Amino acid sequence: MDSILAESTPTSAIELRHVTKRYGDTVALDDVSMTIEPGEFFCLLGPSGCGKTTTLNLIGGFIPMSSGELRIEGRMVNDLPPHKRNVNTVFQNYALFPHMTVAQNIAFGLRMEKLPAAEITSRTGEYLELVGLAGFDKRLPSEMSGGQQQRVALARALAKRPAVLLLDEPLGALDLKLRKHMQTELSRIHRQVGTTFVFVTHDQEEALSMATRIAIMSGGNVMQTGTPREVYDHPAGRFVANFVGETNFIAGTVTMEDGRRVFAIPGRGRVAAPTGSTDGPATVMVRPEYVRLRPVDEPAADPGISGRIVNVAFLGDHTRLTVSTDAGDIVSVRPHATNVRSTHLEEDLGQEVCVWWPADDAALIAD
Amino acid sequence: MARGISALETMPVSPYARLTRAILGVLAGAILIFLYLPIVFLILFSFEKSDSPGFPITGLTTHWYEAMLADSGIHTALLNSVEVALVTAFLATVIGTMAAFALVRGRTRFAGTGRLLFTLPIMIPGVLIGIGLLIFVRRALDLKLGLHTVVAGHLVFTTSFVVLIVAARLQGFDRRLEWAAADLGASSRQTLRYIVLPLIAPAIIAGALLSVTLSIDEFVITFFTIGPQLTLPLYIYTQIKFGVTPEVNALATVILVVTLSVFAIGSLVLSSGRRFRRREAG
Repeated sequence: MDSILAESTPTSAIELRHVTKRYGDTVALDDVSMTIEPGEFFCLLGPSGCGKTTTLNLIGGFIPMSSGELRIEGRMVNDLPPHKRNVNTVFQNYALFPHMTVAQNIAFGLRMEKLPAAEITSRTGEYLELVGLAGFDKRLPSEMSGGQQQRVALARALAKRPAVLLLDEPLGALDLKLRKHMQTELSRIHRQVGTTFVFVTHDQEEALSMATRIAIMSGGNVMQTGTPREVYDHPAGRFVANFVGETNFIAGTVTMEDGRRVFAIPGRGRVAAPTGSTDGPATVMVRPEYVRLRPVDEPAADPGISGRIVNVAFLGDHTRLTVSTDAGDIVSVRPHATNVRSTHLEEDLGQEVCVWWPADDAALIAD
Repeated sequence: MARGISALETMPVSPYARLTRAILGVLAGAILIFLYLPIVFLILFSFEKSDSPGFPITGLTTHWYEAMLADSGIHTALLNSVEVALVTAFLATVIGTMAAFALVRGRTRFAGTGRLLFTLPIMIPGVLIGIGLLIFVRRALDLKLGLHTVVAGHLVFTTSFVVLIVAARLQGFDRRLEWAAADLGASSRQTLRYIVLPLIAPAIIAGALLSVTLSIDEFVITFFTIGPQLTLPLYIYTQIKFGVTPEVNALATVILVVTLSVFAIGSLVLSSGRRFRRREAG
C-alpha cells in the first residue's frame, strides 16, 4: 500500500532537509530532516528548549535558518517572508488584534489578499461557524474567554485556507478541563477542514491524543518520529521512553539459566528476558501498566523480583504503587476496575510483594 | 480575588494611629488648599466688578470677558500662541514618534544613550535652553528672531515628552501581533498601518495634546527666542507691569480651562488605549 500512496501524493506538505539553526554559538536545531505529509496532524513534542518552537518559527518564516532547505508543497521557501508563504499560524497567546472585533480579526488576512467584500463576509461567517462562535462577530477579543480567543485565532488562521496550519502550544494557557475539550475540538476541526496541522507541545498526553504522527525532539535533534502507538510502544531510546509516558528502567544482566534466557538484577531477582535478548549487561524498560504484583508465597515458574510496597497513591481511575526492590524503585499502575470490586485485592503499604511482567511486555534498550 | 483588604485593617494598629491619621488628613487638606486657592482667587477676581481686584468683592460681572474678547492685542497674542502650539505639536509628534521607533525598535548599541539624550531636555532649565538658542540663532546662524525660533525652542522640550510617551507604549507592544499580521499576509507597511499605528495612536495623540498644552503656556524659552511678537503668556506679563487688571484674570481663567480640557482629553485617549493592553494580557 505504501508505494501506491506515495505515488498519489507526490509532494509532501512540508519537507525539512538538513536544517540547522544557530543563535550565535548555540545550536537550536542540529541538521534536522523531516517530512510531513498532506492532511497529517503532525506533532512536535519535546521539553522546552528542544527546538520544537524554533522549527515552527522557521516554517512560518519568522526567523531565518542558518543552513538547510525548507519546502512547502514542494516549493523552496527558504527566503520567502511569512506573508508570501502558504502557511498560517495560531500563536501561543493567540496574538489577536485587540483593536479589532472578532469578525475584523478573521477578515484581516482575507483583506490583505484583496478578496471581494462579499467573499470576505461569507468566509468570515463560515469559519466563525466552524469554530462554534457564530454570533460573536461583533465582540472584541478582550470580551471573550481564553478558550473563545483561542477559537478566534484558529478561525483567523484557517480562513486563509493555508496548505499548512501551524499551532504553537495553543492550549498551553487554558485550564485542564478546557484543554481536554479543545483537544477534541481541534481533532474535529482537523478532520473537517483536512488541512495539514503542525502542532507544537511539551505535553505528551496532548500529542498522543491528537496527533497522527509525532516527532519527539531533544536538544535540537529529532529523537524519533512515528504514530502515537509506535512511539509509546516502541520508543527508540531512553529519552523517548522517559518523555512519552512513564517508564521503569531496570539495569541487570541477561544470562542463560536452565535452558532459557532470564534477566537478572543484582541480588536475587529474576524475570524472563524478552524474546531475542542476547547475553550480557542490559537495561530493561517496562511501562508501569505492565508491571504486575503477586504475593511472595505464590508459587510461579518465574521467580520475579521481590520488594516492598513503599507508596500507594489512589488516583481514582487507577492506583499507582511504588515497590522498593534491589534494582531500585519500580512503579506499577493498576486500573481501578481490577482492584477491589472484582478481586478484593488491595495492596498495603509496607507489604512484601513479588514484581514480575510478561517477558515480551518489556524491551531491552540501548543506553 | 483581591477584595481590597486595607493594610490598616489587617495589622495591629498603634493607639496613636487614629490621631496620626487625623493630623495627616488635615495637613493634606491644607496643602491642597495652598495649591489651589490662588487659582480659585484668580477665577473669582475675573468676575469682579471693580477694576482693581481685591476684597471685598463689590459685585459680579462678565464685563472683563467681553473686554478681553474685544481686545485686539489679545487676539494677536492668541493667534501667535495657537500658531506656535500647533506647529510645535505637529513637528514634535512626528519627530518624537520617529525617534521613539528608532530607540525602541532600532537594533543600535546606542539605544540607551539615545534615549537619555532625547529626554534630557526635560531636565534642562528653560533659561539655559532659551539663552542657548538665542546665542545660537543670533551669533552662529545670524537669523532673525520670530515665531519660528519660538517653535524651535518649544520643540526642544516637547519632543522629549513625545519620545517618552510613545516609547513607553512601543515598549509594551506585543511583537507577536506583528508576526500575526505578517503571517496573515500583511506586508511590513500594511502591518504598520493597520496594526501598529492604530494601537499606539493613543500615545501619539496624547503626546500631541501634551505638546499643545506645554507650548501654549511656555514663558521662559519664549521670552528669549521671540522677536517683536507676543504670545499669550508674554502678553499677560506685559500687562501685569501696569498692574493686574481683571481682564488678565479673565484671560488666565480661559487659558486654564482650555489647558485642563486638552489635558483631560489626552488622559481619556490614553486610558482608552490602556483597555487594549489589558486585553493582550487577558
